[in-house]
Amino acid sequence: MSAPRTPRDEMAEATAHGGLYLRRLVRSQLALSLLALVTFGGIVGSLPLALYLLPGLARIELLGLPLPLLLIVVPLFPFFLALGVLYARRAEALEQAFRELVEPPE
Amino acid sequence: MIALGAILAVTAATVGLGLYGVRLARTTSDLFVASRAVTPWWNAAAISGEYLSAASFLGIAGLQMKLGSGALWLPVGFTAGYLALLLFVAAPLRRFGAYTISDFAEARLRSPRLRVLAALIVLLIGGFYLVPQLKGAGLTLGETIGAPYWVGVAAVGAVVAGSVASGGMRGITYVQAFQYWLKTFAIALPACLLLMHLGGLPERAALFGHEYPSAPEGGLVVELSEPQPVTFPEATPYVAGGEPAQAAEGERVTLPAGEVRLPAGAAVPVAEGIEPLRGEQWERPVSGARDTSPVFVYSLLIATFLGTMGLPHILVRFYTNPDGPAARRTTVRVLGLLALFYLFPAVYGLLGRALVPELYLTGDTDSVVLRLPEAAWPGLPGEILGALVAAGAFAAFMSTASGLLVSVAGTLSYDLWRRGAGDAGARQGRFRVAAIAGMLGPIGLALVARGLDISVLVGWAFALAASTFCPLLLLGIWWDGLTARGAAAGLLTGATVASGAIFAGLLVGEAHPTVEALLTQPAVLSVPLAFATMVLVSLTDHRGRRAPDAELLALHVPEGLGLGLDEEDAVPAGTSPGRR
Repeated sequence: MSAPRTPRDEMAEATAHGGLYLRRLVRSQLALSLLALVTFGGIVGSLPLALYLLPGLARIELLGLPLPLLLIVVPLFPFFLALGVLYARRAEALEQAFRELVEPPE
Repeated sequence: MIALGAILAVTAATVGLGLYGVRLARTTSDLFVASRAVTPWWNAAAISGEYLSAASFLGIAGLQMKLGSGALWLPVGFTAGYLALLLFVAAPLRRFGAYTISDFAEARLRSPRLRVLAALIVLLIGGFYLVPQLKGAGLTLGETIGAPYWVGVAAVGAVVAGSVASGGMRGITYVQAFQYWLKTFAIALPACLLLMHLGGLPERAALFGHEYPSAPEGGLVVELSEPQPVTFPEATPYVAGGEPAQAAEGERVTLPAGEVRLPAGAAVPVAEGIEPLRGEQWERPVSGARDTSPVFVYSLLIATFLGTMGLPHILVRFYTNPDGPAARRTTVRVLGLLALFYLFPAVYGLLGRALVPELYLTGDTDSVVLRLPEAAWPGLPGEILGALVAAGAFAAFMSTASGLLVSVAGTLSYDLWRRGAGDAGARQGRFRVAAIAGMLGPIGLALVARGLDISVLVGWAFALAASTFCPLLLLGIWWDGLTARGAAAGLLTGATVASGAIFAGLLVGEAHPTVEALLTQPAVLSVPLAFATMVLVSLTDHRGRRAPDAELLALHVPEGLGLGLDEEDAVPAGTSPGRR
């Protein structure tokens, strides 16, 4: 009797079954990336249009700067950083889940 | 004099550290592998250090002064580019183990011809990106020691080419990390001190109100070295060449060489190519004007968001990460470091419009960062801060230019010239010749491109990268259906459309604003076209080779399972893409 085959063995031998696991991993990573992309695109993508269509925002002043100017100089950068941190954490969690799936802990 | 000393110190420190570092690293077989023990923070600082170029240090503030707040979309895109890299490229590419885009193209698609095509595009992008660095050098030496423009271009070109050829400055992580902190310090400290000294933003009416930038109390005196055609936004008396004169509103005048005087409070005339803007128009990040129109802004955001990953000198740095997750952590830190740096260029643009309005007259808005400290704080403090800024600017183009030249010379000598034949000595010799040859073209172009804005030139490099290497990387990593033929067709389409539009924009003068915006920044058109071509040609290419699972495995499978490239021989022989 040989040891029970794990999905890791399937992949190392490039069987059809192994390919299935792999595709599932790639798809879940891609879905995560696309979700982050949509979040990014929704905010950064709508900002120019909003500023274009609402010129009245310029009359609002915050910290001595007109609001549109302030909006593109400061808050986008921490937003990118937060999105990056969240994404990296989720991506690592997905990989950990994959590890446990293909090579179940003894 | 202080400035010259600071510049020389930065240059000597950079070249010296580079040479010293190479001697240290030579004991091991591979520079990149040798530094794989580097932590994500050091790595992130090094990536940011190589990335922050003349465009970030000088160009953003210059373009902001010229066009208005619309220029501030540039740092947004420059930073967001790393988000794109993080989401789609960083971890998989690190696992794949290809050092350059040409490596990736050949290894992923098994086509040596594709490697040559990719190499040619690397040269094109590298050239476009080197020119503005040299322009920055010419400007900086001119501002600080009064040297003619060509002196700075030639001197920095020679120093960078020489040290790259001699083996220095080759991606030494610690040198580049030092450059990041130097640049951030050099832009942040003067910005904060000047704001405190001035007690806030002066001349608010010209910044946000109904006024044009105007001559300060006591009038404005400008020394012109050659006749300068200008437009007066408002009727004003002035003195040119000793002769009193009166300009009408909107009048175009060619001011003679020599001294020009404007009375206090007079609206400053603007050089050709600059539109006179009132504060309320100037501060709008998006408006109807050509260079801040929505089409232009979106196109610029797309170019920078997607172009960063395709810049030849960026990806190489990711191989100093030990594995995929470390590559991600490094990229996240880059986002933080860039966010810190990019808080400050806008300060120079705002203060520059208020305090150095003569740059509108001369057209040299790209030198606002260099000029501002002495204008805002006359005397020794301004001189010291000016020296600091000049040193930071030098660090900016030295580090970016050498990173680029290493990529360009590597591509020229390895990918295009005799394809890596001969022993190590012969390769080293070819690399040296290529480093010098690769600098000659950009020096020549920089000499004729003086009138073009640094940030516009850099925008082209990003547009080209986004229209060529971005689709290649994204589809190559995430779609097993990409074929060599599809990739080649897409690269050619993207490169042709993007560079064609840019050159057409230089030739065509006036056109419809939307057309002009698309010709200056074609990414919004060329990127989707390149993607579509790659996908469609790949789908119809029935004889093309689809990636087997083993190759996807190398890109996406997590470490620690013994399946990736670094671990076990899970990939069939002959597919291992690493080469150096």
